[in-house]
Amino acid sequence: MSAPDESRVALVTGGSKGLGAGLVIAFLEAGYRVATCSRTATDAVRGWEADPRWADRFAFTAADVSDRSDAERFVKDAAGRWGRIDVLVNNAGVAREGMIGLFGDDALDQVVDLNIKGSVYVTRAASRSMLARRSGAIVNISSIVGLSGYRGLSVYAATKAALDGFTRSLARELGSRGITVNSVAPGYLRTEMSHGLDGGQLEQITRRTPMGRLGEPDDIARAILFLVDPANRYITGHVLVVDGGLTC
Amino acid sequence: MAQDKNTTLAVIEQFLKLVQKEPEALTDDLPLYGEGLGLDSLEAAELSAVLEDKFGSDPFSAGGDLPQTVGDILGFYEAPATA
Repeated sequence: MSAPDESRVALVTGGSKGLGAGLVIAFLEAGYRVATCSRTATDAVRGWEADPRWADRFAFTAADVSDRSDAERFVKDAAGRWGRIDVLVNNAGVAREGMIGLFGDDALDQVVDLNIKGSVYVTRAASRSMLARRSGAIVNISSIVGLSGYRGLSVYAATKAALDGFTRSLARELGSRGITVNSVAPGYLRTEMSHGLDGGQLEQITRRTPMGRLGEPDDIARAILFLVDPANRYITGHVLVVDGGLTC
Repeated sequence: MAQDKNTTLAVIEQFLKLVQKEPEALTDDLPLYGEGLGLDSLEAAELSAVLEDKFGSDPFSAGGDLPQTVGDILGFYEAPATA
């Protein structure tokens, strides 16, 4: 990958824990300036803010991106602070389990509002900054569940499949302006998001995974850093599955 | 944010050069679309983003009527709404 350009700015939504936190640290270590957001700061966020290695290179905004004004404020904060947005990773998401016949309205709204509308709000705002500079890279974090389905996760799966459609449409819309748009579809990770699965389910997933383990945030970060590398001017509209071979 | 007319025109002219749609004369009544400048929807979005990037606000996303002519854009910056 290209040598890091320390003026490059990456926005990662939902970066206070789990996969998002792994992405934040990966972008910082790759030389980016990183802005992230979540509803509340965590110990990880407070640690990055206090770490002299990331002085002036890390910014946190308390924001719920399913709220339109919060999402726009997050993007404007970052663009105002550093004057540019090179990379957007739409990572913020939530999974709620339930049989569709019993799926509650509140859970439905929460999953759709954050996973789809939140991603659209942030992308709309960030893409304007990218359009003005005719350069940028957007990555939507989808899921293998959006490709293969999963019993009890139908609403979550629907939102992730929707993000892949969003990816392909935006790739067509923004490609002529030097902006790439891709999805990364993780398999099952050793993060909070997989904690809804019981030990037996995780063991079964591990057994069926050719690489013999659950994924780590680093596995996903590596794929994203490849896709958003400034040298990548030709991979766009792609859904890159990173699942240790589980669905191959 | 009020802007000098020539400053706004310069930004529009620079953008039109970028998208290779430079008119013979950039008059106030020149339509942005169709037989005027012939901007397509992506170019309109791009012009909106460029104007916001330059001036901090833009007439395409201000919530009012969408600008139809060059003069509509100039008017937005010359006479900003007051609270």
